[in-house]
Amino acid sequence: MTDIQNIQHKTFLFDATRCIDCRACMIACSVENNIPMDKTRIWVAGVGLKGEFPDLSRASMVYHCMHCEEPDCMSACPVGAYSKREDGPVLYNKDVCIGCRYCMNACPFGVPHFDYDKGLIDGAFIDKCTMCPQRIDNGLAPACVATCPTDALMFGERADLLKIAHERIAAHPDRYIDHVYGETENGGTSYLILSHVPFSELGLPNLGPKPVKDVSEAVMGLTIPFALTWGAVLTGVTVGVHMYNQKKEAAAKSTTDAKDSTEETK
Amino acid sequence: MTKNVSRRDFLKLGGAAAGALALGEFIPPMVAQAARANGQLDASGSGYIPSMCEMCVWRCGLLAKIKDGRVVKLEGNPDHPHSKGKLCPRGQAGVMTTYDPDRVLTPLVRVGQRGEGKFRQTSWDEALDIVAKKMLDIKQKYGPEAMVFSSTHNLSQPLFENLLQAFGSPNYGTQRSLCFNAMTVANLMTFGVEEPERDYNQLKYLILTGRNLAEAISNSETGELVHAVDRGVKLVYLDPRFTKTAAKATEWLPIRPGTDLAFHLALLNVIIGENLYDQNFVSQYTVGFDEVAQSVHPYTPEWAAQLTDIPADTIRRIAHEFAAAAPYALAHNGWRTSNFVNSFQTERAITILNAITGNWGKALFPASGGEGAGLGAPPQPAYPRISALRLDGVPWKYPFVPLKYGVFQQMRDSILTEDPYAAHGWFISRQNPAMSIPDRKKTLQAFSKMDFIVTVDIIMNDTSWFSDVVLPEASYLERYDPLSLVGTPLSAVGTRAFLRQPVVEPQGEGKSALWIYKELGTRLGLGDYFQYKDDEDYLKQQLAPLGVSLDQVRKQGYVDLPAGSSDMYQWTTPSGKIELKSDALDKAGFDGVPKWEEPPAPKSGQYYLLTGKDARQTQFGTQNNQLLHKYDDEPGLWMNAKTAALQGLRNGDTVEVTSDVGQIHVKLQATQAIRPDCVYMTPGFGHLSMGLTTAYGLGESDSDLHVTYTDPISGGQALSQTFVTVKKA
Amino acid sequence: MKMQIAINPRLRFRLSPFVWILLALMGIAFVVAMIRYIFGIGAISNLSYSYPWGFWISFDLFTGVAIGSGAFVMASIVYIFELKEFQPLLRPSVLTGFLGYIMVVIALLVDLGHPERIWYMMIHWNHTSVLLEIGICVMSYLTVLAIEFSPVFFEGIKWQKFARTIHKYIMPFVILGVVLSTLHQSSLGSLLLIQPAKLYPLWWTPILPVLFFISAISIGLAMIIFESSVSARYFHRGLEIHLLEKLARTIPFVLAIYLITRFTQLTLAGDLKYLFNSGLMSILFWTEIIVGSIIPLVLFSIKKIRQSPNGLLFSAIILLVGMILDRFDVSWFAVRHPDPLTYIPSLMAFNAHYIPSLPELSISIGIFSAGILAFGLVAKYLPLFENEEEHHAS
Ligand SMILES: Nc1nc2c(c(=O)[nH]1)N[C@H]1C(S)=C(S)[C@@H](COP(=O)(O)OP(=O)(O)OC[C@H]3O[C@@H](n4cnc5c(=O)[nH]c(N)nc54)[C@H](O)[C@@H]3O)O[C@H]1N2
Ligand SMILES: Nc1nc2c(c(=O)[nH]1)N[C@H]1C(S)=C(S)[C@@H](COP(=O)(O)OP(=O)(O)OC[C@H]3O[C@@H](n4cnc5c(=O)[nH]c(N)nc54)[C@H](O)[C@@H]3O)O[C@H]1N2
Ligand code: SF4
Ligand code: SF4
Ligand code: SF4
Ligand code: SF4
Ligand code: SF4
Ligand SMILES: [Mo]
Repeated sequence: MTDIQNIQHKTFLFDATRCIDCRACMIACSVENNIPMDKTRIWVAGVGLKGEFPDLSRASMVYHCMHCEEPDCMSACPVGAYSKREDGPVLYNKDVCIGCRYCMNACPFGVPHFDYDKGLIDGAFIDKCTMCPQRIDNGLAPACVATCPTDALMFGERADLLKIAHERIAAHPDRYIDHVYGETENGGTSYLILSHVPFSELGLPNLGPKPVKDVSEAVMGLTIPFALTWGAVLTGVTVGVHMYNQKKEAAAKSTTDAKDSTEETK
Repeated sequence: MTKNVSRRDFLKLGGAAAGALALGEFIPPMVAQAARANGQLDASGSGYIPSMCEMCVWRCGLLAKIKDGRVVKLEGNPDHPHSKGKLCPRGQAGVMTTYDPDRVLTPLVRVGQRGEGKFRQTSWDEALDIVAKKMLDIKQKYGPEAMVFSSTHNLSQPLFENLLQAFGSPNYGTQRSLCFNAMTVANLMTFGVEEPERDYNQLKYLILTGRNLAEAISNSETGELVHAVDRGVKLVYLDPRFTKTAAKATEWLPIRPGTDLAFHLALLNVIIGENLYDQNFVSQYTVGFDEVAQSVHPYTPEWAAQLTDIPADTIRRIAHEFAAAAPYALAHNGWRTSNFVNSFQTERAITILNAITGNWGKALFPASGGEGAGLGAPPQPAYPRISALRLDGVPWKYPFVPLKYGVFQQMRDSILTEDPYAAHGWFISRQNPAMSIPDRKKTLQAFSKMDFIVTVDIIMNDTSWFSDVVLPEASYLERYDPLSLVGTPLSAVGTRAFLRQPVVEPQGEGKSALWIYKELGTRLGLGDYFQYKDDEDYLKQQLAPLGVSLDQVRKQGYVDLPAGSSDMYQWTTPSGKIELKSDALDKAGFDGVPKWEEPPAPKSGQYYLLTGKDARQTQFGTQNNQLLHKYDDEPGLWMNAKTAALQGLRNGDTVEVTSDVGQIHVKLQATQAIRPDCVYMTPGFGHLSMGLTTAYGLGESDSDLHVTYTDPISGGQALSQTFVTVKKA
Repeated sequence: MKMQIAINPRLRFRLSPFVWILLALMGIAFVVAMIRYIFGIGAISNLSYSYPWGFWISFDLFTGVAIGSGAFVMASIVYIFELKEFQPLLRPSVLTGFLGYIMVVIALLVDLGHPERIWYMMIHWNHTSVLLEIGICVMSYLTVLAIEFSPVFFEGIKWQKFARTIHKYIMPFVILGVVLSTLHQSSLGSLLLIQPAKLYPLWWTPILPVLFFISAISIGLAMIIFESSVSARYFHRGLEIHLLEKLARTIPFVLAIYLITRFTQLTLAGDLKYLFNSGLMSILFWTEIIVGSIIPLVLFSIKKIRQSPNGLLFSAIILLVGMILDRFDVSWFAVRHPDPLTYIPSLMAFNAHYIPSLPELSISIGIFSAGILAFGLVAKYLPLFENEEEHHAS
């Protein structure tokens, strides 16, 4: 297994205690990436308001692709439409996508979205956050991060951000849940999250350190060996049964040979 | 989210060039040419051009990304202290304001009944001729004062003021009395400046009195607040609503509306009574302390507790904490402080709290924006003498309200009562009084008394809808504006004046205000007041004394101004010191030191109607922006869930809301996030103009319900002082 | 000696009201499909961001493939184990499988966002994808079924030579078919392995493929019984009751293995705690276990029931209902879709709920109708139930 603490990957850090739910990030993403008015790659998640007047709290997070270190979407896609770029972003290639939506099932975060409103002419595709390669390749932060007025979203190298995240927890242990979501979840993600409320209240699934794709991939690995073995076994059985039957038949029918041969030539 | 955006609403940003652009092929693309020459755009016409946001009055610096002659993205300008590289949701959505399919792109002349929305397109020549003729007619028949002018703070305001003063009208309406008069007048009376600057960097303790910075966004200040909280500042937040700022506060106090004065008086009572104030500072730099001490003596925390619904212990503790954290403690002044007729005294109490804890020079600083004059101006003759009284009662009825603030709602009322005289024409620029003044019905009546209304706007806002002529200004991404020091501290920041310059060609026939006012002024025979050839010439004359070329300013986006020298411990008050007691107020028969004034309260069965900003909208002018609409929440009437249940009301019910002046039907949002005795509406919805295809039909307007109250000292309106009943529709 | 199967050589097939209804249902599905191709999947279905898969996948794919398992079960019995007495049941089963798989593919052509790219699965291979394996298996197996069925077709058009040649070389295809079936019947289960966080623990287990394979055998056996019984009734044919009885005898063993495997797994995984206190999930689980396994296990163990046509049909239906519920559970009812709590619901269409729309159902109904009609036509025009004299002596 890869050492998920030290992967060299571009990463986001989101701090729920800083986010004011202003949604500048979302608008920035829509403009930067030309997202249609009824679609989005980034959205608000979380329980929002909690409690009863006047004992209230609020928790929300900004949700987009986690850019998993071991992307399940990528494992699942039959035609290999997903790839993980060397520096982190998980990208989708619409030119090969067949629209099966298996990636949507596979992603434990519910990230990939499908164009249910497009027919064959427009072409229905998957869309999801790309980490803005057009920006990060030019030294800019992704659009959502760059505009965040409170620096609730930050962008950088995974190791650096992990360090910052742990420093923040250490500096304010009373304020944060003592865990950086995404550090290990699902094999580690390139979207790290700090929170003052349990992560489930931010709408994040409870995932172990193993990516959800693990079992599926292990079973897939058995396919070819199994198929070959099974084919051989079946052939063996077939031949065996046939030979056994022939022997039996030969013994039983030695007297009716003539009749058989006439029938054969019919 | 409000309504599902229909597929028709799709407007692909950066998609195929709009019709207006096709036209552009024949006109040399001047903006692009100049930007290319400046090295901002590459040979293919792509690159970044610095300019300024106008989605709200904070006016952040921006970098516009240009591709194929269109703005495709806006970035915060890292050089600008208000943006620091970031833009808020509204700033980010600015592209859509420029490319709003509902933009007004040619001058329009009304053909149908007023309010029917029937206009014909016309040329600038004809439109300006009509406007000039009407204005001159009115001037001739009724005198120049029969023409009223109103505009909300913007960079071309000096030219707007130039126009009205040259025309000879005293009647000038601004947003200020609707917004911050209580705060700025209180500051003027105490510190001699409208709004001292706040510094969050070393802050340890902060009290926000209804300043919802997380939603009523001032980009940089919002960021500073969050960073301060991050550092561990103790934040006490007073608001009857659990806003997103409340969610970040160490302590949220759901104070009873209108009793902030009592809360702050009690803080003063404790801090003075227990000698927790900065005695050196007080004796050296302030006047009137003893009177304040005497005045606040009766206002114990126990007394305030009954009024505010905040326990006495809490108040006392906060007073102790505040004093302990001083001088790195700040009681924030707020901004839209137009809540109650006692808001002025609330503001005074806050300034006094700051002053006696000695945070001047630590948390509060003299406003720097006012310094650094040194810009040139075109020559112009003196203004004609104006003898007519102002309709809004400044200063004859409101002696403490500065002329440039005015009392807008009073002006509207005087138009109706024709007291002291009748007005006949209204010139409106960058403002939507049909929505922003309380009691919309009355404002529409005032419109109907007018022989002539002309509006300068970029979209068919509600005021344009009721106008006779609509003049389309180029959007803020399509025009120059003057380098402006007006309305400090908002436009020049530090000792830097930032430039608004066009980053793309104007669409259609949109023109800059610089051009519009000059052309109109010339037709009014006031050409001498507009002695510049064109926009760039105006700017060159402004820059002349600085010896900086316009090209240079266009390239870097700003010009450094000579730093003004000022003594931080010299105040421009009559006494030259911080005036804890104001003799002027005393003399005029008001309270020179703050005293408790009991504001009106709702009768049983009534609720306080609260208003307050939403992070995705600015006032009354952005609801048509599809990008903001996309990510906004559905507007409705907030009511405490328990109260609603008691009334048999359920989330999503349509309810009838009734005040003394109006009635609306609106969707109920039952929530825990508000006091049981309050309801709340997001302002800016319920537009009347059907020229706003996205916004029309969304929500209702609280301006329909607001009763007009005016604070006699500051002239500020009182928006939380309207009480309503709510029942199932 | 060849037993006498009652044959009605001129099967009744005419444009009866029933056929008209089938045609109408197909017409509706066709129109709905056209709407889908023009305006998108959302125009006809209630699928959403949180429910990327719905009724089509559960019914047309999961159920369709499962009930097509009769073909490989019969093929194994007749060809591999050379239990030639079952020969009469082979052709109808292969046909059911063949048509079933065609229906699966047609449904996928509606469900896929890019049906025109379905063949990309042949050229763009992502070897970690279970769906790729299924896709390739299904497509290959469809070809194998076509080959297995082709003798019937050639006999029908009197190209006996072709039929015989194919028959001669059929064994490799049969073995390939069984391998492919084993793979994809079990892989349908593997398809859900990637959802450990979504599929309820009563269903999610690494041995899902094994469970799927075992249950597929029981479904295959039940389908043969079902389809023989029904066609015997509809076409007024005689029923090969003694054959079916023999088949039915095996079912309890298969189901017993299934139950033992399943409960052993639940025990080992420590998931027994979910058995009774998981609300709807417990109800679904026990329904599929009782209806799909326990009741059929008992029924098929009773000789009297096995020997009665009604008893056989009834028991087979019970098993099928229960096992189909299992397929629905695994692919739909027991999947907790991610619902990142969101308060921008209308934009995101994060529907926590999903109920298939009528047009959505009409697609499946239309395709099913086409299948029935196709079966009828084949039965009428091809020697589906005819004696294969030429094999008889081989
Ligand atoms: N997104 C966004 N940001 C903006 C603007 C915008 O339109 N949209 N406008 C800009 C402008 S012009 C201004 S003036 C500022 C205004 O910014 P703020 O001064 O923060 O004003 P509001 O949001 O109008 O109101 C703030 C809060 O006052 C509360 N309130 C009402 N009555 C009382 C009371 O009696 N006591 C207390 N303690 N609280 C009360 C309301 O519940 C509300 O939450 O925002 C600026 N920033
Ligand atoms: N009920 C209620 N009333 C309120 C408030 C509230 O919170 N609730 N808030 C009060 C406050 S704080 C304020 S500051 C006032 C604001 O009151 P107004 O200033 O009247 O309202 P705005 O919406 O800011 O008006 C801006 C207008 O300028 C137009 N515009 C935008 N850009 C341009 C441009 O580039 N050029 C031109 N010419 N026009 C442009 C917009 O289309 C819009 O019509 O409202 C006050 N009234
Ligand atoms: S969050 Fe989902 S879509 Fe994004 S990389 Fe991970 S599995 Fe793929
Ligand atoms: S929908 Fe497209 S991207 Fe997603 S799994 Fe299927 S083929 Fe791959
Ligand atoms: S990284 Fe880019 S694509 Fe992803 S949410 Fe942010 S702006 Fe959108
Ligand atoms: S821009 Fe920043 S503060 Fe605003 S919603 Fe996005 S992450 Fe939160
Ligand atoms: S605060 Fe927002 S809207 Fe106002 S100027 Fe700055 S970016 Fe523009
Ligand atoms: Mo304001």
